[in-house]
Amino acid sequence: MISGLMVEAVGFEWTAVGEALLNGSVLKPGRWGGTIGVTIPLAMVAIGTIISTKAGLVNIGQEGQLVVGAAFATFASTRVPGPGPFVLLLILLAGVVGGSLWSGIAGGLRYWRKVPEVLTTLLLVAVASNLVGYGLKNPWLLLDPEAKVGNRNLVSEQLPPDTRMPRITLWGNEFPVSAFLAVALILLVGWMLNRTLWGYRLTVVGKNRRVAQRFGISESAQGMIAMLASGGFAGLAGALMLTGGDFANYRLVPGFSVNIGWIGLLVALVANNRASAVIPMAFVFAGLRTGSGFLASTGIERRVTDVVQGLMVLALLLPPAIMFIRERRRALASARSRV
Amino acid sequence: MGPPPAVCTRLLSKNFGAVAACDAVDIEIHRGEIHGILGENGAGKSTLMKMLIGLVVPDSGSILVDGSSVQIPDPVVAASLGIGMVHQHFSLVEALTVWENVALGDEGRLSRTAVRSAVGDLSERYGLHVDPDARVADLPVGLRQRVEIIKCLRREPSILIFDEPTSVLTPEESDELFRSLRGVVEQEGRSVALVSHKLTEMLEVTDRVTIMRNGTVVECCVTAETDAGALARAMVGRDVRLRSAEQAPPVPGGYGVRSGSAERPPVLEFRHVEVRESGGSMELDDLTFDLRAGEILGVAGVEGNGQRVIADLLSGLRSQSRGEIAVSGVTVDVSRHGATIEAGIAVIPEDRHDSGIVLEMTVAENLMLSDPSGLSSRGVIDRAGVDEMSRDLIDRFAIMCTGPDAPMWTLSGGNQQRVVLAREITAAPKVLVAAQPTRGLDVGAIEYVTDQLRQVAASGVGILLMSSELDEILELADRIVVIYRGRMTGEMTRSAASREKIGLLMGGDQL
Repeated sequence: MISGLMVEAVGFEWTAVGEALLNGSVLKPGRWGGTIGVTIPLAMVAIGTIISTKAGLVNIGQEGQLVVGAAFATFASTRVPGPGPFVLLLILLAGVVGGSLWSGIAGGLRYWRKVPEVLTTLLLVAVASNLVGYGLKNPWLLLDPEAKVGNRNLVSEQLPPDTRMPRITLWGNEFPVSAFLAVALILLVGWMLNRTLWGYRLTVVGKNRRVAQRFGISESAQGMIAMLASGGFAGLAGALMLTGGDFANYRLVPGFSVNIGWIGLLVALVANNRASAVIPMAFVFAGLRTGSGFLASTGIERRVTDVVQGLMVLALLLPPAIMFIRERRRALASARSRV
Repeated sequence: MGPPPAVCTRLLSKNFGAVAACDAVDIEIHRGEIHGILGENGAGKSTLMKMLIGLVVPDSGSILVDGSSVQIPDPVVAASLGIGMVHQHFSLVEALTVWENVALGDEGRLSRTAVRSAVGDLSERYGLHVDPDARVADLPVGLRQRVEIIKCLRREPSILIFDEPTSVLTPEESDELFRSLRGVVEQEGRSVALVSHKLTEMLEVTDRVTIMRNGTVVECCVTAETDAGALARAMVGRDVRLRSAEQAPPVPGGYGVRSGSAERPPVLEFRHVEVRESGGSMELDDLTFDLRAGEILGVAGVEGNGQRVIADLLSGLRSQSRGEIAVSGVTVDVSRHGATIEAGIAVIPEDRHDSGIVLEMTVAENLMLSDPSGLSSRGVIDRAGVDEMSRDLIDRFAIMCTGPDAPMWTLSGGNQQRVVLAREITAAPKVLVAAQPTRGLDVGAIEYVTDQLRQVAASGVGILLMSSELDEILELADRIVVIYRGRMTGEMTRSAASREKIGLLMGGDQL
């Protein structure tokens, strides 16, 4: 509603905008593929976030963990020889390691030095993007040795075709097969959180640290594992973006993460930390992103979608809060009138 | 008819969801009386009092102060109407001095001399002696309560509400408190509402008693015309076995006089255990005692004198700075994760929400806490097994809930306590630490818990019973140790114990 009004305010028909968004994300032939391609990293970031939230941790540095994961993946791709599928697997693993390393720094500081992870994860985002920027200036790290001067001087070597994620076409929609991997991982994590001792212990730690300690569940061990897993998934998201083909054409570039880490965080928030809700929510947010490409045809600034996105998060989170406040007001008012 | 009552309520009701916490409650509190409000936990006493001081807004009904209808949306309005309350948990700032605390909430310029002399006057007038320049942190609980009372009295309230005031006091301190309350009431025509679940207090102190049950007033009577049995019946709605300190009832299972208990092996030993607060002050000081198999050892003491620290040590939540703790002769390093569980120590914690249960998880998940590995194979939880185990425990311990998957927060306090009890007892412990096991429970549940504790002891488990209710200790314990500021001030067998003797030791006198 509000977003509709806003679009009207800048002088355009809001139905046209909605149509463009839907066309761009799902309606036009083949658009599902692109949207799925964006859904994959979003869902990976979100499921990782859910793990750390379960343990009572606030990891908000997925953007940085994703970038480091992507950088590790790029580094692995340029250094490891071997058959394509094997290298591809190593690239993904390198992504996981990179992301885990980055969140592990925050986790370590949290449990050995009692530094709040909210701060460290957030601050490490800035460190990550600058470090990777540095890497992209140096051929011995990430820079493509053959990069020409000019606007292409800060890119990594493009992945050779045999180490890219295979893409398949279903009903005219082309997307990387990692979509299946992502779905499997989400189901696995959802199952593990609910049905295994690991998930159980994690939940106890997240809900009541004292009870956990009393029953011999180590808060730092569980928290550290959750932090590493959380970063690992963000790193994996980075590696999947690199190999998937829907982002930056199989290269690491400055600004590679294009806010996927932040939006993934929103996905987890809106999914209310339920693994089962991650896939549809990630798809909705991915749709907003891919649909925004079609907005240009209506002549509206692309950034409008960012605003729409923000409003959507508010729309999903506000109703419970507003209901709560209204309920309270009503109770107070009726109590006053009756007494 | 005399003057209108200081405070009275007409058909006052408050619902929380589907539960009627107070249902059409009528009470009258007159000037110049101490009015007792008696009821089990959950009977609606606290909700009623909270409505009087504006912490809870009623759904319907009216409140009359001196005969005129008023609305009390918040505590500030309540104060201006002359209603003040001394809460069970004090609201004092520990780092400040007594007079600074008394001045809290004042507006405008703060006059040190005026406040200090006011404190002095009030102390004098009501026999509530306290040094206005002392830091609250340095004061024992009894004196802190005085500060709280002075703070209330300075606002010249016409009615003073006390919520369970004696739970933190020694018997002597309670007597003193009631003497000064009597003074407040008789000299100045103020009224006092005393909220409590202790029958003896009601009988000794109050002029009239209102008894509440399930959110309604069941009876209002003149104290002099009633007795403990009648009060208890009215409170619970049926005949109950009254706890009597003077004669411990016969015990099922044949324990009782256990001449042989001295020869039984100790299951828990404390050897010169010392715990220091991070600031350096002693919380446990050279504590040495042992607990034998099948014995109930009562730890008496005013709250906050080390009981919690002992429970925390045995829960693996803290560790000692010196000394040794041993279970069945084997030293236990309580700082190691899970060491206390492995050693066979079960704990019913003082505050179950703090370290006893996880409110957001289900009953089944809470029941499986003590042995999750036993209910899973290769890291996967055996849902059917957990379900079966919880249904069994829910039946055996008569836990009222909608099933194993009910979230813990939907259970009442008494049923949450049963979950803790069920889990800790079935863990087959060697030592059971029961810290304030009946706190916040209604009379029926208290009966149940004490019976369970006796049975567990009869089966050979050593029970360390910590309670601020002397009656409970005198009823259950075979042997009693008294602690004061983390030190042991006395040890005696049940037969050698008396209220007076323990009372003195609780106040710090050495044996």
